[in-house]
Amino acid sequence: MSANGPQPTPLLRVRDLSVRFEPRMSPALTAVDGVGFDLADGEFVGLIGESGSGKSTLATALLRLLDKPCRISGGSIEFDGEDITTTSQDNLRRRRWRDIGTVFQSSMNALNPVMRIEAQFRDAIEEHSDLRGDAVTDRVRELFEMIMIDPRFMAAYPHELSGGMKQRINLALALANRPRFVLLDEPTTGLDVVVQRSILEAVRRLQKEQGFAVLFISHDIGTVLELSDRIFVMYAGRLVEQQGAASLLENPLHPYSKGLLGSYSDPRADTVRVTYIPGRPPDLSRPIEGCRFAARCPEAIERCQSDDPVLLPLAGGSVACHVAHLQRGPVQDAPEDLPEPTRVFAGPAFVKTAEDSARALRGEVFLEVSDVSKVFKHRRGLKRHSIQAVDNVSFSLRRGKVTALVGQSGSGKTTLARMITGVDRPTSGSIRFIGSDGDIEVDRLPTRRLRDYRRHVQMVFQDPYSSLNPALPLRYTLTRPLRNHRGLSAKQAKAVAGELLETVALTPSRRFIDRYPHELSGGQRQRVVIARALAADPELIVADEPISSLDVSIRAEILELLEQLVTDRDIGVLYITHDLLSARLLADEIVVLNQGTVVEHGPVLDVIRNPADSYTRTLLDAIPNRYLKPAQT
Amino acid sequence: MTAGVVQTGSGEGPADASAVEGEYTRMRWPQLIWSSTKARAGIILLLLFVLVALLAPVIAPYEGTRSDFGALLPPSGDHLLGTTSQGGDIFSQLIYGSRISLTVGLFGGLVSTAIALIIGMWSGYKEGTVTDDILSFITNVAIVVPVLPLMIVLIAYSEVRGVPLMVFVIGITSWAGHARAKRSQIITLRNRDFVTAAKFAGEGRIFREIMPSMTSLVAAGFVGAATGAIGAEAGLSFLGLGDPNTVSWGTMLYQADAQGAVAQGLWLWVLAPGLVLALLITSLTFINFGVDLLSNPHLRED
Repeated sequence: MSANGPQPTPLLRVRDLSVRFEPRMSPALTAVDGVGFDLADGEFVGLIGESGSGKSTLATALLRLLDKPCRISGGSIEFDGEDITTTSQDNLRRRRWRDIGTVFQSSMNALNPVMRIEAQFRDAIEEHSDLRGDAVTDRVRELFEMIMIDPRFMAAYPHELSGGMKQRINLALALANRPRFVLLDEPTTGLDVVVQRSILEAVRRLQKEQGFAVLFISHDIGTVLELSDRIFVMYAGRLVEQQGAASLLENPLHPYSKGLLGSYSDPRADTVRVTYIPGRPPDLSRPIEGCRFAARCPEAIERCQSDDPVLLPLAGGSVACHVAHLQRGPVQDAPEDLPEPTRVFAGPAFVKTAEDSARALRGEVFLEVSDVSKVFKHRRGLKRHSIQAVDNVSFSLRRGKVTALVGQSGSGKTTLARMITGVDRPTSGSIRFIGSDGDIEVDRLPTRRLRDYRRHVQMVFQDPYSSLNPALPLRYTLTRPLRNHRGLSAKQAKAVAGELLETVALTPSRRFIDRYPHELSGGQRQRVVIARALAADPELIVADEPISSLDVSIRAEILELLEQLVTDRDIGVLYITHDLLSARLLADEIVVLNQGTVVEHGPVLDVIRNPADSYTRTLLDAIPNRYLKPAQT
Repeated sequence: MTAGVVQTGSGEGPADASAVEGEYTRMRWPQLIWSSTKARAGIILLLLFVLVALLAPVIAPYEGTRSDFGALLPPSGDHLLGTTSQGGDIFSQLIYGSRISLTVGLFGGLVSTAIALIIGMWSGYKEGTVTDDILSFITNVAIVVPVLPLMIVLIAYSEVRGVPLMVFVIGITSWAGHARAKRSQIITLRNRDFVTAAKFAGEGRIFREIMPSMTSLVAAGFVGAATGAIGAEAGLSFLGLGDPNTVSWGTMLYQADAQGAVAQGLWLWVLAPGLVLALLITSLTFINFGVDLLSNPHLRED
């Protein structure tokens, strides 16, 4: 693996590591399969891959924290010369936190809710060092200054802190004993983009100052590329590519890496092209012949179907791909079906040109939001609090067009969506729906007429894992709106439900209609959610961050589907997001919301290219800029 | 999501169709419960008790209420476990006694579950309203009222004795905890996205959406309530509050205690009913381990 240059003994040396997942009631599978790599002192390495690729399992295995039914089934993990897979639990306990710090994926809940923050630091520090009493307090203060949080929060309880602060505290906790190696497992997932940015900047700064090694696991390729020196790409339990960050960006070798990279682009460019990887990862509980990525690979050749590629050095990195080695390796007998070398993913893409984006403001207005405000009042004891969630907002939606509502969490996006869908009523102002069969004053809608209104307005939810009832088959989920809103008979409804599934490209529909949600992938579930929204034949669809809980590699696919539906059916869409790239791809118009007020409003390209408001600029800055450089030059 | 689902992307050919349909086997709930060793043992044991209760006239050599044998006969071919000091056959009493315990368990469990379900779901559905406040208040009162003295008072002052009274008293005193659990479950369920989605789908009542997710909790509640009812019946009968004209394990223990069986060293008389009671309750507890697997998929993995 250390093909370039001599290297001293690495800090972490992993060889042929395999992790088996052996549940009692379903088939066993190898979640991590023969992974090997070295990590030098002070190196910042990123690990990327789709969900389910084995990233987090690998991370847990490195600390030997795997729980039943997972176990390390082979290979070795040497940390500083000591084999972690065989050492005693006592030894391990001493190493964890002193030599190895961790910030976990769900670390929003990693702080003990009944202990003050300082006490939690004190526990960790006293367990692993000789510091006692005031010396510990000083160290905690120092750590707080390091992560730029006011030391008076030392006395706070976790619930008194914001999500971003908690995550920075977790980072400080991981660094409390000056570890040599820090493992970051999706440390910013679930946080606001701007907050994410500040945390990751803190990580990079501290890493430069203190020189610890980092393994940074994330599915957000943009940030990983920007922060890391070297990148590992993982697919279906294997390492498939290993390269320096800059060279990976310039010259990705594995088609899978190209696919992941293709899911990012500069929203300001004239033509935005975002690729997606069709299909889904293989089932690891069954034997796989040939390359694991072959079924989804646009560059696959005949040999990929039968030969399993191994990770071999190539062009300064290493890659497990027949095609890459044949194209760039030493001259061999190239098979006839070998494709030309490419830098970009040769698979399907969602392309949006400047002309496409310039069609805005033409459709007929069918929903008018005028001067809408919402004040939430609540009472605690005798005190009354009121929060102005939405403040004097006006905009309109047009038939057959997509309007993006962009804003940070807490900016009032969701409150606005709830008022538009009739769930909440505005405190003042009016919302008028100009439907094909008469106008509806949504702000004054009596509860009993809500059902009629929802025939015209449907929703696509953020998390397809919670918005489909796990106990009911798709047939039930899809036929209910057909019977309720369109008055179809059971038989008709079944036929139409099948057609709906075909519309969202779940074909053939008979294979899907009797399934339960847990049998589908995230992307497929989101398609079902979209199909359900279409069932009522609505005029407006409110899509609340419909792609944010999906893997980056399939987001564009869902966006493309949404756009196609808008064009084919002349539906208006209110697209709620905090992601400007997806807004550029899907929307015609953008409304930027900050602290309840509209700070910017206009055609999508105008807003993205010439942001007038500082908040919009912050959002643009939050897009990893290392990524933007090649796009601009 | 690791349950062996082979599902390739949406746009792919039908080549893998057979694999998709062949591979995935969804575990139905009876299979799931059966897959737990403890639950399996519990079910077999419970079936055995049910069989004994149904076939009591066939299995037992004498009527359970007959007491015209010689007093305190030792175990023999005629009297497998000997006789009591009033001349009753212990073995026959044991066999007939299972009928009372199972009946009270079944109906006591049903009544208590029904009350818990109605009150819990109603108050959960009306969360935050005055109705909820009133129902929650009643539930809380029912939780803090000491149950045993209440049951004793209710039975002591009633005109009739017997199984229906037992079921009634046990039912109305033991629902509160379960009602509280069901209320919380409803509240978390009705705020899920899929319930909001059902409202968007034009559903007037969200009951159909919520009920499937409630079943395992209701089932576990019922098994728990039945276990409690069996214990309560035995306890009340032991205190002499049972029907004097029938034989249950509780009344057997009451008689044994009243006649000073332990002091006289008549161990079989005390141990036999105590042991079967313990076995029945154990079997139900074991079944609940299996029911737990339904509501908590996490337990299925190791």
